[in-house]
Amino acid sequence: MHHASDPASDPAAGTSTGPDAMPGAITREQLEALLQGVADQDRQAFARLYEATAAKLYGAVLRILKHEQRTDDVVQEVYVTIWQKAEQFDALKASPITWMVTIARNRAIDELRRRPTARHEPADILDQTASDTPSARERLEGEEDAQRLYTCLEELEGRRQDMVRLAYLEGWSRADLAEHFEQPVNTVKTWLHRALKQLKGCLAS
Amino acid sequence: MTDCDDLDMLAAEYVLGTLDAEERTRVAQRRQADATLNDLIQAWEARLAPLADEIKDVAPGPHLLERIEQRIEELEAQHDTRDNASQQADSDRATADTGNVVQLQRRLRFWQWGTGLATAAALVLAVLLLAPLPTQQEHEPFVAVFQQNDQQPAFMVSVELPSRELHVQAVSAEPLPDKSYQMWIKEDSLGPKPRSVGVLNDNLSLAANALSEYSPELLKRATFGISVEPPGGSPTGQPTGPAIHGYLYPATRRL
Repeated sequence: MHHASDPASDPAAGTSTGPDAMPGAITREQLEALLQGVADQDRQAFARLYEATAAKLYGAVLRILKHEQRTDDVVQEVYVTIWQKAEQFDALKASPITWMVTIARNRAIDELRRRPTARHEPADILDQTASDTPSARERLEGEEDAQRLYTCLEELEGRRQDMVRLAYLEGWSRADLAEHFEQPVNTVKTWLHRALKQLKGCLAS
Repeated sequence: MTDCDDLDMLAAEYVLGTLDAEERTRVAQRRQADATLNDLIQAWEARLAPLADEIKDVAPGPHLLERIEQRIEELEAQHDTRDNASQQADSDRATADTGNVVQLQRRLRFWQWGTGLATAAALVLAVLLLAPLPTQQEHEPFVAVFQQNDQQPAFMVSVELPSRELHVQAVSAEPLPDKSYQMWIKEDSLGPKPRSVGVLNDNLSLAANALSEYSPELLKRATFGISVEPPGGSPTGQPTGPAIHGYLYPATRRL
């Protein structure tokens, strides 16, 4: 079902960010310029923004929903929203990719809460998560920010690290975490709050 | 724990994604009016953003961009139609999506197309609400009430026959975050499927001429629905979200 982009279908093919360009190959400044173009209703800029970011956003939504058709639908809504709201993007408040991933994650989690899917085997997911970190990571964010977050995450107790990852990446709710970790929901909430406060303190130091 | 801490943890969990549907809705609603909460949310988005680096890229199917562009075309076309009908629509659109939106969806009654029966209570409400209206024989208004729960109507729709002038008014319905309301008409002669009347603008209204292609007789027989759809309206041309229904009812008739 998933294919590399077809250059023939890409109206912006041949430009500096070709259809095969991955997010890592495009700079923050370029993405900001594309978003500005989208805010000005520039369809070409929109197509290029899509080509540069779709795989990242699709990956984020698919990881949460685990279902291609629902992912297609949500990603479509996400890009329509990006088209409509690009003018609200504030480069001083967020990086372009963070802004877009945030829209995608929010949409995906809302959809997951509306119609929950069967949770996948936690062991598989944790393995997948573990194998992705941190060497295989793509550096979308500033190297320093990422390094600091990962240093701070490492300081968390093991299960709390897992909780943060399972929630952020897989869209697990408190109830999902409670089931997996065999703890009451309130305990999970307490653990989450401790983990988040510790992270915040560590990042601020 | 202080209130300030509580609010920060609410923002953190909202961003992390661990809240349930109801809590997420409440936070999404509250941040529109609460700048402190909104700032806390954005701060957490920035803090946790590097976690997204762990997400593996997955290329979407080759036709998704096309689908998205088509969808945007449709939305723009509707937008243009509305522009022609009403200049107001344009200024509404310009300020679209800026917030002040409230999640209503889950409070709506989930009626499916085809079950078709507006409740007697809705009709009673229609009459009660419109009883004070002046009645003119030649401009007899027909109304439909779209009921949200047993107490309050969500929308009220009136149609002046025979001019077919449409007025949609939100009663207790409010704009939804990242959703649009879309109005539908269904009548046997139009085939088995509902047809779109239009996507409600940000004032939760529609152009007055949105029903002008239908005859007064057809309108009297038709069922109307208002459904909750992705922003800009249904991607499929058919209602995809929860819908509430009503029939037109002569506002002047007494029970």
